[in-house]
Amino acid sequence: MILEVKNLLKSFGGLVAIKDLDFTVSGGEIIGLIGPNGSGKTTLFNLISGFLKPDSGGIRFNGNDITGLKPHRICRNGIARTFQLTKPFGGLTALQNVMVGRMYGVERVGSVRQAEEECEKILEFAGLGGRGLLLASSFSIVDRKRLEIARALATKPKLLLLDEMMSGLPHTEMEEALQLVRAIGHSGITLIVVEHVMKAILDVSNRLIVLNHGEKIAEGKPQEVVRNEKVIEAYLGE
Amino acid sequence: MGKVFSISGVVVVLLALVPLLTARTDVMTWLTFTLLYVTLSQSWNIIGGYTGQQNLGHAAFFGIGALAARYLWLSGMPLPLALLAGSLAAATFAIIIGFPAFRLKGIYFVIGTLVLAEILRIIFDTVLPRASVLPSRLLNTYSLTPRYYLNLVIAVLAVGSVYWISRSKFGLGLMSIRENEDAAEASGVNTQKQKLLAFLVSTFMSGLAGGTYAYYASAAQPGYLFSAVWTFDAVIIVFVGGVGTIWGPVIGSVFFVLLQQLLSLYLPGGTHVLVFGILFILVVLFLPGGLIGLWKKIRGLESKKRERSH
Repeated sequence: MILEVKNLLKSFGGLVAIKDLDFTVSGGEIIGLIGPNGSGKTTLFNLISGFLKPDSGGIRFNGNDITGLKPHRICRNGIARTFQLTKPFGGLTALQNVMVGRMYGVERVGSVRQAEEECEKILEFAGLGGRGLLLASSFSIVDRKRLEIARALATKPKLLLLDEMMSGLPHTEMEEALQLVRAIGHSGITLIVVEHVMKAILDVSNRLIVLNHGEKIAEGKPQEVVRNEKVIEAYLGE
Repeated sequence: MGKVFSISGVVVVLLALVPLLTARTDVMTWLTFTLLYVTLSQSWNIIGGYTGQQNLGHAAFFGIGALAARYLWLSGMPLPLALLAGSLAAATFAIIIGFPAFRLKGIYFVIGTLVLAEILRIIFDTVLPRASVLPSRLLNTYSLTPRYYLNLVIAVLAVGSVYWISRSKFGLGLMSIRENEDAAEASGVNTQKQKLLAFLVSTFMSGLAGGTYAYYASAAQPGYLFSAVWTFDAVIIVFVGGVGTIWGPVIGSVFFVLLQQLLSLYLPGGTHVLVFGILFILVVLFLPGGLIGLWKKIRGLESKKRERSH
């Protein structure tokens, strides 16, 4: 078991965003995390990656309690994330963006030259080969999403949280993005993927977890979960 | 890059020869001030330019460095030790106020640091209202030459430090904070620690600049050492030259001192501040890369023209 979330609770004022959430993730899984808008998916990512502190409950990663650690500590423990609204280091080159992850993440590289060489390969893996010297601010939304993944991968995570990498992509780009996600899974990294595009998530994940109003309402094999009445109700209304 | 190195090497050698070629006090004073401003603006460049934390309390550290170095030096401590002690005093003060200051973000950090320096200025104006004048034994033997060389050495060290930072892992971490603090944290950068480290390096260098000024000035009003002028001169130089670049503050310092001299010839005293204020606004609005950015743009246009003519 790589991730264990127990009795997690988070509220903003009177609004309960995550309510008594329990789930576990095993190494090598690709988890699809779905749910209607406002169901708490991004809040959950923020809790796991340390950008929010839970009101109660705990998160264990690789056997260590990581509840309430700062984001950089969690990153150095081996959990990387991307942001739904991409956050590139706009004034830096794509290569420098990725080098930050490589030099400050899990297996930190001290030498700038070594980091450069390794990060060129990571860029290539993410589909940005040969574009390392361009400023990140000059990238299109599609490429910013790729860059976001490259930067996260460069930290050498064991668990990667992908927040809506595919929404808004045209069809052909989506196929490529799916291939990239699969390739990341094959390289041995465990994934939790938040996605609105249902076809994409059914295609790529081994297991689905469905949130509604901050609660887990279903969990299991993708094809079974989408036929679950509670899930259909949550998406379509009664 | 090799070309830049050889050019700057030649410039440093020429600067080292200046005192042998001329005895003109005015030229030597301008050059001394230009070099002082290179150090001061580079020190601000580290925290404001590379790390993106607009510290408007920079004068506080210049003042602490200047005051501490001056009193220690005048009470008999060897000058290098006094300068070091002044810089350490500035950096120590930075540790003390750094922890609370970096809890403030954005505009609150700007205002907080500005107020801090003003408080110190008022305190020292009140507690030490009399100017510190060099004793006659030092005044009688006063020479600009050692002041000039001291400023030259320290300015070269300052530029060298920023050059190193800009190409190091440390500098990459600082720039990531400037570009996006959340993304930096998510990539493993301990943003709080890195900001504090940048602040220490920056304030140490600012204290060193203060110390060299304390050694230069034959008379100095303690309150004036903490004047916001030191902060804003540095900020204007960095932005006009090119914020977050190695050579911007160097070019900015030359431009600043030259323009200041020109303006003081033709305008009534103090009016140059108005001109610099307007210039600063124009640069921020229309030339965000400063003079360095302008130069790169022109070179870019030329190479495009060349490509087209081929």
